Amino acid sequence: MSMERSIRQYQEDRRQAVAIAARLLLASGTTSPRVGGVGECTFHIMEDPCDIEDLCQKMEELAEEKEKWDFFRREAAMLRDADAVILITSLRSLNDPSDINCNMCGRLTCDYLREAERLQAGPGVAFTGPLCIFRAANIAYALDGLISQARNLGIDYGAYWSAGLAGMRLGLLPRDTGFALGVGISITEKSPFRDIPLRYSEINQRSMNDRIIQRLWPQFRSIYS
Amino acid sequence: MAIRHMDELVQAGLEQAVELMVLAAHNSLRFGGKNTLKIISVGQEEMEEIANYALSLGDMSPLAARDGRFVMELIKEPWALLLLGDKRKSVFGYDCGACGYPSCAEMNRVEEMESLTSNGPACMFRVLNLNLAANAAAAAAWRLGLHCRVFSTLAFSAKALEIIEDCDIVASVAVSAAKQDPFFDRHKFWTREHWDQTFEKEFPTFTRGFIGAVED
Repeated sequence: MSMERSIRQYQEDRRQAVAIAARLLLASGTTSPRVGGVGECTFHIMEDPCDIEDLCQKMEELAEEKEKWDFFRREAAMLRDADAVILITSLRSLNDPSDINCNMCGRLTCDYLREAERLQAGPGVAFTGPLCIFRAANIAYALDGLISQARNLGIDYGAYWSAGLAGMRLGLLPRDTGFALGVGISITEKSPFRDIPLRYSEINQRSMNDRIIQRLWPQFRSIYS
Repeated sequence: MAIRHMDELVQAGLEQAVELMVLAAHNSLRFGGKNTLKIISVGQEEMEEIANYALSLGDMSPLAARDGRFVMELIKEPWALLLLGDKRKSVFGYDCGACGYPSCAEMNRVEEMESLTSNGPACMFRVLNLNLAANAAAAAAWRLGLHCRVFSTLAFSAKALEIIEDCDIVASVAVSAAKQDPFFDRHKFWTREHWDQTFEKEFPTFTRGFIGAVED
């Protein structure tokens, strides 16, 4: 397809739509409910393809840390096709239990949770729990706020905790972040987050393009010229 | 065609809306594609039990008591309450550490800590899935024009009373078709005297002139 002026304009408008949509999603996530009405979540928009690539490479690096995190590679391949990534954080789950003594963390009271020994940060440890699990409800509300808006706007989305972890490890998120998730959004004709074949980290649009078009095209040209 | 009156129509609409909310919650996004939630709605009798229980927690939790008093008023006009619950153990195998144990297997092996509100330790992603569903129900209610609020107090009371059974973690979504939104700015549920007493007890330093002053 030749890139005539009107098609270039469409591509530019699509990019602008991504920037607007990401901010509308942020608005919906921000105003979603919080337990006890106490604010604790922040939202960080990544729309520069270079930033998204850094995040994806970090996810792939993290996949090396633990066998069970092998699926991070697949998610990185999906997020490479995202037009923007929104990282959602929980800033209270780490150091500020909700003082409701709900026992979801299994420590019976919030005072016991404060005294509980934490996991040491390091390879193979994603989040240094025990976190205040009651606060996790806020992350869920924030995430569903984003999803609800994405559905209103008719744009494609995917939610990945691997992206949140990568954002934490890259130092992109506030210091007090105890837990983070990433939401990829896409304004394209086919969602990059659905219909994902097996071995997607190896066989995807980029690798397909590279192996079938970029590698064969020069040979085709040499032979048939 | 027979005339149907407003009250009947509102009640019928509310019942349909609750079904749609459950549908939205049931189909909400889930981590790991695990749909293990239990969702029920409660009737008048159970709601009164929940209200009385929440009210009885007054000494421990003024918030629960306030919600208990509120529910007694709420049920005078068309209302519904959804209870959502799930088990606590990890079924994901993410080994993420949010629960404080290095692996899901270890967390699942640890002795369960039971309490009236929840049984722990609970997997972070199970709690996320539960509350994603709660928010999806609330978002559906919002779109349908219902008054809505998510309550942990009522969910905890329902779990304590075993109205929702076989669940370790719970959430609740209340909706109303009252003439005015009953869920916010609930000043009428406080008498001035009771408000002053509770405030003084919960925020003793607010009115103390000198921060080092000794309490009576």
